[in-house]
Amino acid sequence: MDLEDDTTVLTTLKSFNSFISRSQPPQPLPECSGYGGSLQSTYERSMGLLEAAERVNSKNKYFQLDQEKKQMELSHKRARLELEKAASDNARDFKNEVEKNQDLLGRIKRLEERESEASRNLEEQVEANRALRKNLEGLTKKLEERDTRLNTANQTISSLKDEVRVLTQKIQNQDSTLTSQTLEKEELQEQLDLQRRKYQEVSQLCKNLQAAQSSCSEHVIKIKELERRLALQEQDFSIVKNVKSEVARVPDLEKELKRLREENALLRESRENCSLLKEEVEGLRRKLERTEKTIEDLVNMELEKEKLQAWENLGQSTGLSIRKPEDLSREVIQIQQREITLKEQNYTLNSRVRSTERLLSELNSELSQQHSKTLEEQKKREAQDSLVRRLQKRVLLLTKERDGMRSILESYDSELASTEYSPQLNKRVREAEDMLQKIQSHNVEMEVCLELESLKKQQASAADSNVLVTKEEVSILRQKIEDLEAERQRLEEQNNILEMRLERHNLQGDYDPVKTRVLHFKMNPTAVAKQQRQQEMESLQEEVTRLRELVRSLQDGGAQDDGSILTPNLSLSLPPSKEVLDLRKQMESSELKNQRLKEVFQKKIQEFRTVCYVLTGYQIDITTTNQYRLTSVYAEHMDDSLLFKKSSKGSMHLMETEFSKTLGEMVDLHLHHQKSIPAFLSAVTLDLFSRQTTV
Amino acid sequence: MTSTLKGITLKGSAEIVAEFFSFGINSILYQRGIYPPETFSRVTHYDMSLQVTTDVKLKNYLTNVVSQLKEWLCECTVQKLVLVITCLETNEVLERWQFDIECDKSAKESSAPREKSLKTIQEEIRSVIRQITASVTFLPLLETPCAFDLLVYTDKDLVVPDKWEESGPQIINQSEEVRLRSFTTSIHKVNSMVAYKRADSV
Repeated sequence: MDLEDDTTVLTTLKSFNSFISRSQPPQPLPECSGYGGSLQSTYERSMGLLEAAERVNSKNKYFQLDQEKKQMELSHKRARLELEKAASDNARDFKNEVEKNQDLLGRIKRLEERESEASRNLEEQVEANRALRKNLEGLTKKLEERDTRLNTANQTISSLKDEVRVLTQKIQNQDSTLTSQTLEKEELQEQLDLQRRKYQEVSQLCKNLQAAQSSCSEHVIKIKELERRLALQEQDFSIVKNVKSEVARVPDLEKELKRLREENALLRESRENCSLLKEEVEGLRRKLERTEKTIEDLVNMELEKEKLQAWENLGQSTGLSIRKPEDLSREVIQIQQREITLKEQNYTLNSRVRSTERLLSELNSELSQQHSKTLEEQKKREAQDSLVRRLQKRVLLLTKERDGMRSILESYDSELASTEYSPQLNKRVREAEDMLQKIQSHNVEMEVCLELESLKKQQASAADSNVLVTKEEVSILRQKIEDLEAERQRLEEQNNILEMRLERHNLQGDYDPVKTRVLHFKMNPTAVAKQQRQQEMESLQEEVTRLRELVRSLQDGGAQDDGSILTPNLSLSLPPSKEVLDLRKQMESSELKNQRLKEVFQKKIQEFRTVCYVLTGYQIDITTTNQYRLTSVYAEHMDDSLLFKKSSKGSMHLMETEFSKTLGEMVDLHLHHQKSIPAFLSAVTLDLFSRQTTV
Repeated sequence: MTSTLKGITLKGSAEIVAEFFSFGINSILYQRGIYPPETFSRVTHYDMSLQVTTDVKLKNYLTNVVSQLKEWLCECTVQKLVLVITCLETNEVLERWQFDIECDKSAKESSAPREKSLKTIQEEIRSVIRQITASVTFLPLLETPCAFDLLVYTDKDLVVPDKWEESGPQIINQSEEVRLRSFTTSIHKVNSMVAYKRADSV
């Protein structure tokens, strides 16, 4: 429809254009009329044209709209047609469906009727079912009632039976108990009798016992009396013994008495002597006292004598003219004066000493300060030494690193041939070496500083000592310090070396057996692996020995007959190789062939010989090499034979035999003259044949 | 396991160190190729992936040793743990991984837990294990079939348990030693080092 629209638009445009072109040619005509009113005319013409154009346009539009309307109407008609078609179709469908609907409705009605019938039937049946069920229920109820009654009856029967049984059992039990009780009663009566008898016996025994007891008690009493008497007798006996012993002692006592009286007399005499002696003793004591007194007087006198002598000596010893105590007192006064002067001197000296002591203490304090300063300096030095040590350690570590790096370098050099890495590594090595040198120079500077400080300290100490202490002590101290420093350095070096060694050993895994112990698990993987390895080795060695034996046997078996030696070894050794099997097979096959060939040859030879014998009439045997013996078929005797010898050239010669002697003529004829052995032989056969047949 | 909130006790420290040894030994066995790599499986621990063996016998042996080691760590009687690698053909010791253990004896069972974060300890352990892995670059190749053994240096007066026996230190003849990183749990300090046979002296 659109295309038609476009075509109509194009056709209208074409018609419009054609119209405009038709309308255009008349336009230039009014231009030729005049110029004065040309503009107006042109304007009018243009206006007219415009209006015409507008009219054309409007007509175009009108046409277009008409056409559109027509098209619309057409489309409307078409649509209407289609709709009508659709409507008709729909109506048809609708009718069909209505018919279907009606059919279905009819069916539904029928079905509904059937359903209603079925439902009515159902209801009837349900009612019948219900009635039947009710009947059933009633019947079941009756049955149950009967069953229950039966059960109860059965139960009562069973219970009654049980009761009956129980009662019978009870009766039996009671009977048994009765019998047992009667038996018991009899037994008890018997026992009673026994008991009564026993009681009587026992009562008799009791009486006997009582009698015995009484007798016993009487005896007991008697025994007691006897015992008392015994005791008394023993006492008397003991008393008698004592008396005897005492009596035995009497002579001794009398001897003692005598002795004592003699002693008494002696003692009285001695007492008298004692008194006499005491008197003497007193007298002697008094004498002693008097003599002691005299001695004391003597001693005093001697002392006074000594004093007087001393006084006399004084005068001689001091050199002064001392005869009288006045002189002494004069001397004493002089001495005292001298003493006073000396004391004054003493005091002055003491004051001096104190002042010197004060000075000394001050000096000591200064010394201590200097000592503390030296200690501080020493500590600083020690700190610097420790720094030095650390630096040395660092140096060592660096050297180690350098060694490691060098080793890596060397490994790289050995592995890689490229020159890409080496310059870098060389640079690094150089840098490390530079570092090392710097550190070493720093080390040296530090040592120099240390020495300077020590020298300064020494100088300071020397200066102090010069001020206060003598030069000798200074030099001695300096030497001591130097020695100590040298020793300390040495010891430090040794210490460092030992520490490095210790560290090294510790890294390697050394330990002090006194303090530590090394333990490991018994079933550790190394031990297990070693065991496995050993087992493998042993098994491999066994295999090797076995294989060597096999090889030896094979080599020996190759020279001898293979089968006899191989077969026992085959059971032990490995399976034989394919080549050997092939060779064996070949051998067997060749042997078989040989055997067969031999058999065939023999057969053939036998055949040939028999054929020759039959055909030629002579049996040819080889007695020795190159000697042939011929025996004829028709020979008269078995030993008749001809011997032929083959010479080296190949010709045959007849040898002498007994049979050949008889054939002399034929020999001469055929061999010597005709020189033909076959003729000779045939003549011999003919001759023999003729002899045979005739004879 | 101890948490960072509670701090590190003696028992916790012993557990940490024993666990480190278990993983460290597995890593060394994998790196040095003592056992074939297909017998190892990957696990994640210390925030990194580690190789752990799946061989049953080896696992049993390691658990036995590590459990005994844990006891000794709690008693502070162990001084060193050494992993020795020997060549089976020549019975020579080729490598020696030595872990020195310094125990702070003042930390007994009853004392208060020490303040050290578990994360820092794990980081330190991680760096040690990384260094062990990196050591492959300078260690000589083990071309012959090898077996390993674990030695424990303990105090002399210790009672030797049933399945253990005394052994020598198995020191390498002419060795090069390299000191590796160390880590500390503030109660136990573990220093690691490796000694290997010099290549030219073989």
